[in-house]
Amino acid sequence: MTTSRPLRPGLFRQTSGGPTLLAGRCTACGHIEFPRADRCPQCRAEAQKEIDAGDRAELLCATTVEIPSGRLAAGYTVGYVILSCGVRIFSQLASDAAAMAAGTSMRLEIAPLWQEGDDQVLAYRFRPEGGAD
Amino acid sequence: MRDVYVIGAGQSEFGKFPNRTVAELGGKAVNSAVADAGIEPGELQAAFGSRVYDAMITCQTVLKGLGVTRIEMTNVENACAGGSTAIRSLYKDIAAGYADVGVAVGVESMTTSPVAGKPIPPEKDDLYGHLGLTMPVLFALQAKRLMETHGATREDFAQLSVKAHDHGALNPQAQYRKRFTVDEILASRTIADPITLLQCCPNTDGAAAVVLASEEVAHKAEGRPVRIAGSSLVSGDYDFRHADITTMELGARAAAHAYEQAGIGPDDIHVAEIHDAFASEELVHYEDLGLCQRGDAVGFLRSGATALGGHVPVNPSGGLLSLGHPLAASGVRVVCEIVDQLRGRCGERQVPGAKAGLAQMLGGATSGLDAGAASVHILTV
Repeated sequence: MTTSRPLRPGLFRQTSGGPTLLAGRCTACGHIEFPRADRCPQCRAEAQKEIDAGDRAELLCATTVEIPSGRLAAGYTVGYVILSCGVRIFSQLASDAAAMAAGTSMRLEIAPLWQEGDDQVLAYRFRPEGGAD
Repeated sequence: MRDVYVIGAGQSEFGKFPNRTVAELGGKAVNSAVADAGIEPGELQAAFGSRVYDAMITCQTVLKGLGVTRIEMTNVENACAGGSTAIRSLYKDIAAGYADVGVAVGVESMTTSPVAGKPIPPEKDDLYGHLGLTMPVLFALQAKRLMETHGATREDFAQLSVKAHDHGALNPQAQYRKRFTVDEILASRTIADPITLLQCCPNTDGAAAVVLASEEVAHKAEGRPVRIAGSSLVSGDYDFRHADITTMELGARAAAHAYEQAGIGPDDIHVAEIHDAFASEELVHYEDLGLCQRGDAVGFLRSGATALGGHVPVNPSGGLLSLGHPLAASGVRVVCEIVDQLRGRCGERQVPGAKAGLAQMLGGATSGLDAGAASVHILTV
């Protein structure tokens, strides 16, 4: 039987309104970090609150990679997106890089990254708004 | 603190040598550097070695073949900046008086490493590495931003590779000794858009070594001593502090420290050797090293300033793109090239009258930091 598990815990969660990324907000200085860290990289405080970072982002830049990497087959697309909370993160992208301009509105989805035995390993990924499945 | 000089520089052949051991490659470089210094291997008092893949007791493995045993040997790792780190560490030991003469060696056997023929991944448990952020991807995304922010074109990136290969064609030690046109570079297969195969450094086996000495020892040596006027090594900083990915703040910081110590600025540099594992990144380094103003890197390239015959030739050796990139050796090798340039022994690729040169190297990528390490050495005669 195929089961699914996240690449690592603490990256995202499902809500009734769809998936959301998880991040840490420092209760001392307000800095938001993805993924959540044990200690704030800005002020070094240890009090970090888990928050929903939402499912919206804007594309900064993207590339389609024509060689395999680790368990990823050639032809995958990745890039940097800027979350609505202002944090820049690296992400898998669900569209060819040539089809997306900087500034494109993106929406989060949770998708299989690779198969590990019977386990489907899930990761976060962004898709252009209105893009087809 | 005492002044420290380079009194000898040497490297092995660079290329694909799956049948040559790390001891052979490293031994060739150290033998060559020691002979260049005009000393006997037995005079070495300290050794620092660096290797990225399968590294264990690199100095001992290399130096036992030269009859050098018993002295303090330290093996360091800082990804591609490991060789620079070995030099920096030896520099500090000699400046502080712990040793008067020693060797720094970087060596890599990429063809026998676990990453042979593959893109170099970040640290194995790295989140972004799992998501596909290899070295070519990191620099492809930076190149995409340079197209947006700087008006850089695919032809500009290809021109950087044309320049590297034009220079490498003049270097007998280069892995490639072949010129390419912009069209040929653009027509090579895409690795990660906009980076094509001929804009990526090759997998390279090789080694480089330098002999450093105190002023007293240097002035007794045969060749012209080259002074280390500035030496810096810094680590990366959190990515969130940087508004964009078109500058690598750690590289600018490493340069600022070295310029301050040397008491000279970018306008005083006659020749530079820098990290160009991927062609497009060279534009970022022009600005981070202060060779041109922020935002002007593309115009600076197009002016020809950084080609041989230009105002400040960058990578006259052919750089990592043409000379090759044996990871931990490259940080030492860039210093070797500057030493040779300042001693006026670079033949067809000589920068005429070079009196001050800069050797830079970057190393490593991990989620959340702009890069792992950056080092700059400023050398003068």
